[in-house]
Amino acid sequence: MGKQKLKVLLGATALAAMAGQAPAGEFDGITLQAKLIGGQQYEGLYARIAEWEAETGAKVDVISKKNHFELDKEFKSDLAAGTLGWCVGSNHSSFAAQYPNLYTDLTPYLSAEDIAAFVPANISASKIGDALVMLPRAQFDVSVLYYLKAVYEDEGNKTAYKEKTGRDLAPPDTWEEFKEQAIFFADPPNFYGTQYAGKDEAIVGRFYELVVAEGGALFNEDWSPAFNSDAGKRALQWFVDLYDAGAVPPGTTSYLWDDLGQGFASGTIALNLDWPGWAGFFNDPDSSKAAGNVGVKVQPAGSSGKRTGWSGHHGFSVTESCEHKEAAASLVAWLTNEDSQKLESAGGSLPTRSAVWEHVLQEAQSDPFRAEAIAAFQAGAEHAFPAPQTPEWIEATNLIYPELQAAILGDKTVDEALADAAEAVDEMMQENGVY
Amino acid sequence: MNENLQHRIRKYLLKALHFVALFIAMAIICVPGLWVVLNSFRPTVEIMAKPPVWIPNELNLDNYRAMFGAVGEGGVPVLQYFTNSLIVSVTSTLIAILVGMAGGYAFARYSFKGKAGIFIGLMLTRAVPGVSLSLPLFIVMAKTGLIDTHLGLILVYVALNVPFTIWLIDGFFRQVPIDLAEAAEIDGCTRWQAFWKVEFPVARAGVASAGIFAFLTSWNEYALASQLTRSTFSKTMPVGLRDFTSEFTINWGGMCALAVLMIIPALILTFIVQKHLIAGLTFGGVKG
Amino acid sequence: MSRFRPPVWFVLLLPAIIILAAVVLIPLILSFYSSFTPYKLTRPDTLYKWIGTFNYEKAIKSTHFWAAFGRTVLLLTIALNLEMLMGLGLALLVNKVTYGQRALRTIMMFPMMFSPVLVGFQFKFIFNDNVGLVNNALQSLGLTDKAIPWLVDGQLAFIAILTAEMWSATSVFAILILAGLFAVPRDPIEAAKVDGCTPWQSFRHITLPYIMPFIYIALAIRSLDVARAYDIVQIMTNGGPARRTELLWTLIGRTGYIDAKMGYANAMGYISIFLAIFFTVYFFRKLNAARSELGMAG
Repeated sequence: MGKQKLKVLLGATALAAMAGQAPAGEFDGITLQAKLIGGQQYEGLYARIAEWEAETGAKVDVISKKNHFELDKEFKSDLAAGTLGWCVGSNHSSFAAQYPNLYTDLTPYLSAEDIAAFVPANISASKIGDALVMLPRAQFDVSVLYYLKAVYEDEGNKTAYKEKTGRDLAPPDTWEEFKEQAIFFADPPNFYGTQYAGKDEAIVGRFYELVVAEGGALFNEDWSPAFNSDAGKRALQWFVDLYDAGAVPPGTTSYLWDDLGQGFASGTIALNLDWPGWAGFFNDPDSSKAAGNVGVKVQPAGSSGKRTGWSGHHGFSVTESCEHKEAAASLVAWLTNEDSQKLESAGGSLPTRSAVWEHVLQEAQSDPFRAEAIAAFQAGAEHAFPAPQTPEWIEATNLIYPELQAAILGDKTVDEALADAAEAVDEMMQENGVY
Repeated sequence: MNENLQHRIRKYLLKALHFVALFIAMAIICVPGLWVVLNSFRPTVEIMAKPPVWIPNELNLDNYRAMFGAVGEGGVPVLQYFTNSLIVSVTSTLIAILVGMAGGYAFARYSFKGKAGIFIGLMLTRAVPGVSLSLPLFIVMAKTGLIDTHLGLILVYVALNVPFTIWLIDGFFRQVPIDLAEAAEIDGCTRWQAFWKVEFPVARAGVASAGIFAFLTSWNEYALASQLTRSTFSKTMPVGLRDFTSEFTINWGGMCALAVLMIIPALILTFIVQKHLIAGLTFGGVKG
Repeated sequence: MSRFRPPVWFVLLLPAIIILAAVVLIPLILSFYSSFTPYKLTRPDTLYKWIGTFNYEKAIKSTHFWAAFGRTVLLLTIALNLEMLMGLGLALLVNKVTYGQRALRTIMMFPMMFSPVLVGFQFKFIFNDNVGLVNNALQSLGLTDKAIPWLVDGQLAFIAILTAEMWSATSVFAILILAGLFAVPRDPIEAAKVDGCTPWQSFRHITLPYIMPFIYIALAIRSLDVARAYDIVQIMTNGGPARRTELLWTLIGRTGYIDAKMGYANAMGYISIFLAIFFTVYFFRKLNAARSELGMAG
């Protein structure tokens, strides 16, 4: 009896203490179920959920924590089974278009000012049609060029390159030059000029951005395939040439992001187009042989003068079936507010709020590598464009990537591969009733 | 004399050959596994080094420390996963063995109409591809509220293991001469007593090995578990391995550390159950 | 008033039947139905649209499907036979050991402790062309100065997958066959020795018939399980590159979950179930034949 009383009393004081900080009880008694992305770089932010709980009186119950691919599978299963009682979900701009009916439009729950504080490009990539289906967190991804500085400082390399091409050796600014240098640096099997993601959505994304940089497009307005074009052929030829010349590891068509990151960190890759999350990893002597030797530069441009810039970002969404949308939207806004983004970007990821970009640039001043990286990413972000915003995107990538691989490995010519891929995508789009 | 010597030389040669072959076989079995164990003590930079580092410069417990550390700093709710795995695997194995013993005994000792058909039918349930099963199973489980519970996973694993257990135990019961049980019955035992006193001890080896298989299947199953679990409340260790992969990275060292934690209990259990395996088998061998 | 008393065998089998019906049969009926619809996970209403055998026709006309089918059969055949032979060899080796056999048996089962997901990652790193264990070893020993693209070259990737699969599964054969070896009676072998039979003869005519049922059990169980090697293949190559290692299971998995086309995926699944049925029935027949040779048929 006495014990119970004490507990009640303690509970009451705890509540009172919280009430002192903020107008408590806005969402008293509400429990929100959330499905959040798990993993090192994402979970630091979730510590802030407790603060939000204290402020609003609501409770958050994280019912699932998985990586994005597993979450994607789970969302699809939920849609199929109708198990949509949860409220808040992690989302990604490249996946979001696949579930157009799952998430609600957040616009009614936010002020125009709130929305304007985000980088406009990120907001537009968070929309399906006019519906703002997610609020971006400080996990913005665009790839820039990482390179080994030593390779460019080597006198032997400098003279040999000058002799060969008549130009001075400097980190490349076009993809043509990139290719030339990668082939020039390669010394298999001990050292490679570069590498690229070789499978799944990853290689299609890389191909996509190169097609754009070459002045083409992946899809027409009506979502019919447009990549079987001169720009598409030039883009694919770039991959093929690097592979044929032995400038990339022969296993590159089996690589995904982790293999690429580990590869560059092993110090055996000269040039590497990669994501912001790796910057700290590459320059950390505990994780990387390339530490202290890493240069970062804005990504090169294609023959059209346009730079590559396939980008994506993480965010949080509220389900259409959520019972407490107000509360859920408040949580989502909390997890993406300025303090949250500052906290998260301190870990090395890129923010999606203009004010936080300023903050991050300020913070980086004291660390020359960090400053160089942030400057490169800021420049890179200006050229960023999202993955094609169609529910069919992921399915299309699964049809395209085996054909790209076939061309790279020499099973098919570039023309054949693109024709086959375009035909398969066209057929799929028609079958799915897109046109 | 000469012949004797020749004979002895031949015997030693054969022995040496046997030893070498055994050593090579065991090496092939062990190396990829021990490589994982070794990696769990090494920093990733050394595992992925090029040129390779053959003799580890540095062995430490960093991966383990990180794993048990706080969330956000590499921590993974290992103990929770471990408990989940243990509850699910042990319970489902026990149930599968009981159900399997009943079924196996029925097939081994009774003849009835449609026996072959039922038998094949049971076995075929194992042939169903996981993909065709996992989604409808998810829907059924979701409708009955068994998603993300131990019970849901236990049910699935029992179903997964029962055909195998029946088959294996059936095979072992067939090895037990039927006269043994009949003799016991003549001595005044009921069928039930005869089973436990005479047939079961002989077939114990079969039960033990079926038990090992069922336990290891449940302990290591991934595809269905990843579909039917979601939070730390029910996630098992194989699903937990995926905590070390994120969109861009794989923490291979950390994954190895968790893998070691998965392997050790399985190894210990196997070693213990082996005793029963031997006891049962020897008896069967002598009597057979 | 005679109450109906079900036969004992039925009561004994009932728990197994109930649980399998609940966990396998009901979901199976659901998925079988969905294979006649354009069921797309992200659009649940598509489940109610009947399109007849469209998915089946599409699968049967798809060259990718048949290529994957053929490759799966090939992998199945090679893997099972090699695993069986190596398992038999291993069991015989261990069986001969008199001292420390218990420890050896545990070591023999070591790979069984590794979850297939883990085996996938493990061999993916072992066969990595740039920093992988195999290439590093070959290069350090001076056997090659090239980075062999294990997971890219069609045949090498097949071998890599086969190696991973065999590493993880040979133990299953070994332990079952070893159990069979223990059940072989000593007397006939002794008698054969006295009669002057060579070791090979007594193995061939006495031991082998005794362990044959165990071999077929192992084969049948494994033939269904290889089909589940999905975890390993999915992580090592995911069917790539350029569909060179595409197996039914990676193809179906991708179609069903990533493309979300569950209806079509299930149709392919049902066609390939025939594959499994064929193998199961085949080994079941063999098992019965082996048993009747020993007078254990029932």
